[in-house]
Formats: sequence, structure tokens, C-alpha cells
Amino acid sequence: MLHDLAVWLSHQDGVVWLGAVSTLAIYSILYRENPVFRFFEHIFVGVATGYGVQLIVTQVLGPMWWEPMVRRGAWYWIFALLAASLFYFVYSRRLVWMSRLIIGVFMGLTAGNGLVGFVTLVGPQVAASIKPVVVVSAGVPRPDVNHLLFMITLITVMFYFYFSISHAGRRAGAVARVGRWLVMVTFGSIFGLTVMGRMSLLIDRLSFLLFDWLHLRPPG
Amino acid sequence: MERARFWTRRVIWLLTAAALIVPMLVRIRLPMFPSSPARKLYRAVEAIPPDKIMVISTSWEPGTYGENGLQTEALIRHAFESNKRFAIFGWIYPPGPELGQNIAEGLAKRYHKRYGVDWVNWGYRPGYADMIRGWAKDIRAIVSTDAYGTPIGMLPVMKGVHTADDIGLMVEITPTDSIGTLVQFVYGVHRTPLGYAPTGVMAAEAYALLDSGQVVGLLRGLVGAAEYEDLLRHRGEAYRRMIPQSFAHALIILLVILGNVLYLLGRRQGEETPTEVQGEQRAGD
Repeated sequence: MLHDLAVWLSHQDGVVWLGAVSTLAIYSILYRENPVFRFFEHIFVGVATGYGVQLIVTQVLGPMWWEPMVRRGAWYWIFALLAASLFYFVYSRRLVWMSRLIIGVFMGLTAGNGLVGFVTLVGPQVAASIKPVVVVSAGVPRPDVNHLLFMITLITVMFYFYFSISHAGRRAGAVARVGRWLVMVTFGSIFGLTVMGRMSLLIDRLSFLLFDWLHLRPPG
Repeated sequence: MERARFWTRRVIWLLTAAALIVPMLVRIRLPMFPSSPARKLYRAVEAIPPDKIMVISTSWEPGTYGENGLQTEALIRHAFESNKRFAIFGWIYPPGPELGQNIAEGLAKRYHKRYGVDWVNWGYRPGYADMIRGWAKDIRAIVSTDAYGTPIGMLPVMKGVHTADDIGLMVEITPTDSIGTLVQFVYGVHRTPLGYAPTGVMAAEAYALLDSGQVVGLLRGLVGAAEYEDLLRHRGEAYRRMIPQSFAHALIILLVILGNVLYLLGRRQGEETPTEVQGEQRAGD
């Protein structure tokens, strides 16, 4: 019976039907919590985990660790297994110190990368933040509105997050308030882009349901 | 009141579904205006010299195909149209290179391009930042074979490609913040030009990178893919999907206005706001 199911699923329409039923089952949560949603949610978690394990074994551990070690004489890859095993001593109260060795190595690597990365990532952005509010174009100095807006945003937002000066005063309060409003505008922009992103993914699913499953014709 | 709130949400979701489905089935045309970040990325691809390779980093999974898949398709189409050789590479999610390869194979027939000559699939390489640092210094030490086990030196597409200095442009397509690692260790060390194609959720943070010149161009989610299609004069799937997207956005704007008007009217009539109700419930708990 399992073989028949596999053969049926391997047929294109079987896969599409399975995808469509799964999609609708997951979307059933939009009405309310229900057992069908729960069932498919668990299937999704299981499939995703199994798929991930399969990929790690076939694309990473197999060709990059096992094959060189066993078939191409790179015996020293065994040390990777020994080093990785140290992570599991976290479950032993007596030998937990061994797990700290490997965790410490990774912390050191990450901190080192972070230090180098901070300079190369943030440094140019700090430099680019200093913009002239007056630019000379064809020998004539004129204000650059974009740069001016950028500098106002930069200064007021930084002031809003500067807590060593009280924001209670009239002038300081006004600058901090402008900074807060500009932060709100940024949050609005991020939220708008998030809505766009989520809608794009919903359109992808709807496109699958309408055109791949129901075989409706997209407009020309 | 509780019953009304229950149904209000369901009605909003039904309206959203209608705003998306109707424009997907009815022929509607809307104008498209490619943004400056998309134009910059287009020009950066055009400017890749013949002796350098383009790297399309497919750091995405099937879950974000609706954005990253269409961005990948637009970029591969451009590479094929402008005869730029390119490599598909994955270093965040293992399925990425396979997904990119499927897109490339689908387009290759149309443009009469051959695997190994016009493009190569480097497959997935684990190790994140540490791998990227080594890879940028010596590509062939990390990518000794392609995704199918063929020694990389045997492929004509790899001629003259040894380090990140031999890459004309690397485009990171991803729903993650992995661009930071590439900025640090590929652009920061080797000055290799970077392009960025994030999902919409990640796009706002990308402007700092664009402003500082750390990335040369940007595709913002689905709209970025649609803009790129417009620049290629090939309005395809991304453009088609932007039409329901626009209708859904218009609906959301209307609902936000309506929600605020009802909120203000409710306050004037002395009704408790949802926030106040939740606050009281928490206090009761």
C-alpha cells in the first residue's frame, strides 16, 4: 500500500494535490484552531526536520567529511568528530568542563570575526553618515535637501537615544520628540515592507492553488 | 462584542483574499517605475568585465520562493541575456544551489546556454564566516568540485577564477542578514562589488549598506524582482504578482484608515479600546 502511495505521489498531479491539501489545511487556522491544522503542522515539522537531516548527510557530511576520510586517505578528519563530540558532554555534570573547551574555541572564533567585521561593516557606514549639507554644483554653492534631511534625522534620533541629558527641557524635549517621530516613521517603513513580504509569500501560495492545482489560466 | 471581533478578523482575511485573487484572474495592467537601487544593480551586472565571473549566492529556501526565487530568475535571465558567465553558490541553506540550478536549467534552453561553459553550480559549502574568509582567498581550495562532483578546474566557465578578486559581482539573494558577513570579508577585504536581493522584511536595513557603497545595488523583495524584469523588458511572473500585491496594499491602507476612524469614534462615545481591555485582562490574570 505504501508503494502504491509513493507511486501515486510521484505522479505530478499527486504531488500537486498533496501540496494543495497541505496548504489549505495550514490556512484553516485562519478560521480557528482545529485538529486538521495541528495534524498538518506536525507533519510539516517532521518533514522539514527530516529534509534538513537528509541534506546535511548527503551534501555536507558525506562528500565533505566521510568520503575524504574513508576513501581519499584524509584520516585527520577524524579529529573533527572528536572535537564535535565534546559538545555532548554538556549533558554530563561531571564532564561538563570538556564541552566548555569546544564552546570556548567557537566563542573565540566568533569574537575574532566580530572584531574584524565591526571595523569593515560599521566603519564605512559611520564615514558615509557625515554628509555636506551644502554642495557646490558648477561653482555655485546650494543646499542639498536630501543630505540636510539625513543629517536632521541622524542628529535628532541619536539625541533621542542619548540619556545623559534630560529630555524634559523645552529645546531638548523638542529635538528628542522629532527624533522619536522619525524613529516611528522608520518603524512604519519596516512594517510596510514586512506586509509586502508576507503578501508576496501569500500570492505565491495562491498562485500555486489557482494555476498549478485548479489549472485556471492566468490572464495574458 | 467578542463575537463581533471574531468575525471582523475573518471578514478582513476574506477581503484580503478577494483583493489578491481577483487581480490574479482578471487582466489588469499597472505602470512600473524601476527604482534607483534596482537600476544600480542592473548597471553593475552590465559592467562585469568578460574576464571576471558573477556569483549568484542562493541563500534561500523554498519558503521564500515567492520573493527570492523570482529575484534569482530575473538575475539569471540578465546574466544569460548579456552573456555573463556566473556561478550559483550556497553557504546559508543547503537547498539554495539546487533551487537556483532548477531556475538556470529552465532558462538555459531558451538562451541556448550550456552548463560548465556559461554557468556552474558550486553547490553548498558549510562553515559560514570562517568558510567565506577562506573561500575569498582561494576559491578552488573550498570549491574543489562542482555540485555534481566534477573537478572545478575541468570546467571552461572557471577559467581565470581563483580568488574573490576574480569575481566581477556577487549578488546575495536571501531572507537572512547574511550580507553582513560578505560585506565584512568579501567587500571589506577584497573590494569585490556586492549586490543584495533581500526579502521585503529585510529591505529597510539594506539602505545603510547602499548609502555607504558597501553594496552597489538592491532588489527589495518581490517589487525588486518586478522592477528588474521591467529593466530587462521582460515583464514576467514578478510583474504579474505585483498587481494583486498593489490591490492588497490599497485594501490595507483603507482598512488602517477605517480602523483609526472607528477607534476615534469609539473613544468619543466612551468605549473601551482593545488595548485597555487587554490591559485589564492581564491585570486580572
